Amino acid sequence: MKHVLLIAAAAATFTTGALAQEVTLGRFFGACEDAGTDTTTSTGEACIIQSIINAADAELDGIDIKTLPTDWGNYYDQIKAAYAGGTPPDVHVMHRHRVPEFAGLGALAEISGDLESVGIDPGDWSPAALDAVSFNGGVYGVPMDFHANLWHINMDIMDEAGLVEDGKPVLPSSPEELLAQAQQVKDATGKDYLAADFAQFPIGVRLVLALMWQQNGNIFTEDGTATIDTEAGRNAVTAITQLFDAGLANPQLNYADSQQAFLNGEAAILVNGTWVVDFYTAEAAKEEVALDTYYVADFPTLFDTGATWADSHIWAIPSTLEGETKMAALKVLAFINDHNIDWARTGHMAVRTSVVESDAYKSLPHRDEYTGTAAIAKDTPPSERYGAIQDVLNRELQAIWLTDKPVEDALSDAELEVQDLLDR
Amino acid sequence: MSAGGKKQLSQTQAAWLLLTPFLLTYALFLVYPFLRGFWISLHDWNLLAVAFNPDAKEYVGLRNYERVMWGRNIAWGLFAAPLWQGTGLVGLVLSVALVLAGRLSRFNAIALGVISALLVLLPGFHPGEEGRWYDRRFWPTVGNTLVFVGLAVPGVTLSALVLAAAMNRETRAMGILRTLFFLSQVLSVTVVTLIWQIMFSPRQGLIANITETFGGTPINWLTDEQFAMAAIVIATIWWSLGIAMILFLAGLQDISKDIYEAAALDNAKGVKAFWYVTLPNLQRTITLVVVLQIILHFQVFGQSHLMTQGGPNDTTQVLVRYIYQTGFRDSELGRASAMAVFLFLIMGCFSIIQFIVGREK
Repeated sequence: MKHVLLIAAAAATFTTGALAQEVTLGRFFGACEDAGTDTTTSTGEACIIQSIINAADAELDGIDIKTLPTDWGNYYDQIKAAYAGGTPPDVHVMHRHRVPEFAGLGALAEISGDLESVGIDPGDWSPAALDAVSFNGGVYGVPMDFHANLWHINMDIMDEAGLVEDGKPVLPSSPEELLAQAQQVKDATGKDYLAADFAQFPIGVRLVLALMWQQNGNIFTEDGTATIDTEAGRNAVTAITQLFDAGLANPQLNYADSQQAFLNGEAAILVNGTWVVDFYTAEAAKEEVALDTYYVADFPTLFDTGATWADSHIWAIPSTLEGETKMAALKVLAFINDHNIDWARTGHMAVRTSVVESDAYKSLPHRDEYTGTAAIAKDTPPSERYGAIQDVLNRELQAIWLTDKPVEDALSDAELEVQDLLDR
Repeated sequence: MSAGGKKQLSQTQAAWLLLTPFLLTYALFLVYPFLRGFWISLHDWNLLAVAFNPDAKEYVGLRNYERVMWGRNIAWGLFAAPLWQGTGLVGLVLSVALVLAGRLSRFNAIALGVISALLVLLPGFHPGEEGRWYDRRFWPTVGNTLVFVGLAVPGVTLSALVLAAAMNRETRAMGILRTLFFLSQVLSVTVVTLIWQIMFSPRQGLIANITETFGGTPINWLTDEQFAMAAIVIATIWWSLGIAMILFLAGLQDISKDIYEAAALDNAKGVKAFWYVTLPNLQRTITLVVVLQIILHFQVFGQSHLMTQGGPNDTTQVLVRYIYQTGFRDSELGRASAMAVFLFLIMGCFSIIQFIVGREK
């Protein structure tokens, strides 16, 4: 009897071992314990994505998904080191802006021929979404969203300052108006007009980039010439520094602190991405959170043309993946693609036309308040040195507002360094 | 069966046999990676590209070193950095004068002389007309690392020495305190930086709360150019106090009680006894602690990477973080290795100093 049991147990281990295909998955977005498998009720990027992954793990037969521990700050360093060591995750998330670097070196699998076999219809992706995963004519991933910088608004403060009309916030249309309205808020409420992470992640960089694009400028041209120390660059920076100089915004807050300042009702506007819309909605509903009336607006146009920084999250698989593992990884991509509507709940914009046109999508909280964002979404020209360039800009811009480095010096230093990077 | 088993190993053979496991491990995990690192530093080596195509590297000789440390039209002048070079000149004069007056041992005179000469020589290099450094961040980063070491090492040594002297008693309370002070050492750098990020936070931190209680405005420790380096030094001192303290305690317990009794008869107690008895007897321990700390803190990474991300305006950018960024963010492994070899040379110098000092007497 004992023998029979042992053999049965061994057989059971053997068969499940043979059936369950392990898929390792790398992602950022932060950690969420107890995300569960209900993809329709979770809140916030971390918990929504983890609930989708948990659901895929539970629902996909014979696939066992293992989420690797990764942290946003070092994500790309970790992924790169994993690729260099020959042990990349079987499925991983990345940004559109990293495709030239990773696909260009042959790290990512070209999957245009595999999509249909697992039920992904690339025809349902919007043209911009297809563009986000395309490189040299091939498809190197499955797009998950468009995300962009928005203006998150505390309507109570705006109302107190007389900056609400027909239930909508009155936003500036020029740098001069920006300063005037900021002063108006300060005079009426004593509070800061604008908060953002100017001290840690490159949110301040994205603000300046948007203001440069609004003047039809850019930090470098397609042919690789840095163009930062320009009229457009100076205008963009001074549009923001005038707020610091007048004491209407605090440049020394990092990501968490600036967010806290907004939730505490200490600032009328927070510049941050689409990824926090559902989180702020949930926070605003809480009794103990000072922010009560929350509104989301498209990034206003202060110069000639509308523009806001935008990017895409996409899912990719390594080029080295083969056979069973590759098939399993593709099924995970398909599952994530099927749950585009759940991911859009974060506040991100969906990539599938069928989702964008659905009522469920249109009725998401605050969705109708930033419908203009998709049309003004922009990013820098593609470059293999995107990360390093962002770091240079972040450092030099922080030097302006945190250490009073003269704007001209910072911009010319940034231009020299970016040119060095482009020339390498 | 036992025939022929009589042959015995000579002492040398036995020594080699016993050393083999260590030598193999040492060669495999230290010597080989180092040599390979040096070899990589002679190549244009993209981390990802070489991983997918081993032929994607290119031998470039010493160009990585030139690109990192040198520039276009670099000139040398005696008055390029008056403060540093002036200090160096004073040091040179002083070392010669002290030797002539017989007040300085030969070793100390040479050490002071070499450091002073380097102070005169190195800061003198600067980009001439139309010139520039190829890598404008490298030397400032080396400077930041030196500042960090210059603050952290005396900080750790002094506070550990004071704590050890105060806790060198055989009571239960002291035993508990010693454990408590050592406890921070066992934490990982992520935990330490997390604790101190909260401590330093201008919104919710303990320090900000205390300043506000006394009516001051809280300092933005981690984003203020004046305080960012101080902040990571403070966190480092708190973190690495333990080992230094234990070494000092061991040193203190080695000092014979008789000396203190004799000193007490000569009316040397308390501070006086500490100054005239404890310190001279602790000299070797102090040297050991200082050199160990120097070598350790040149490799600072986590504190800067996690607390300030090298900012603001690069004021807390340190060498290892720059190596890491160059290697992993920018994928330029060759260049990163060249910087790593430079760091190795600096630390090698301090190891040699320790070796020489350890052999003296």
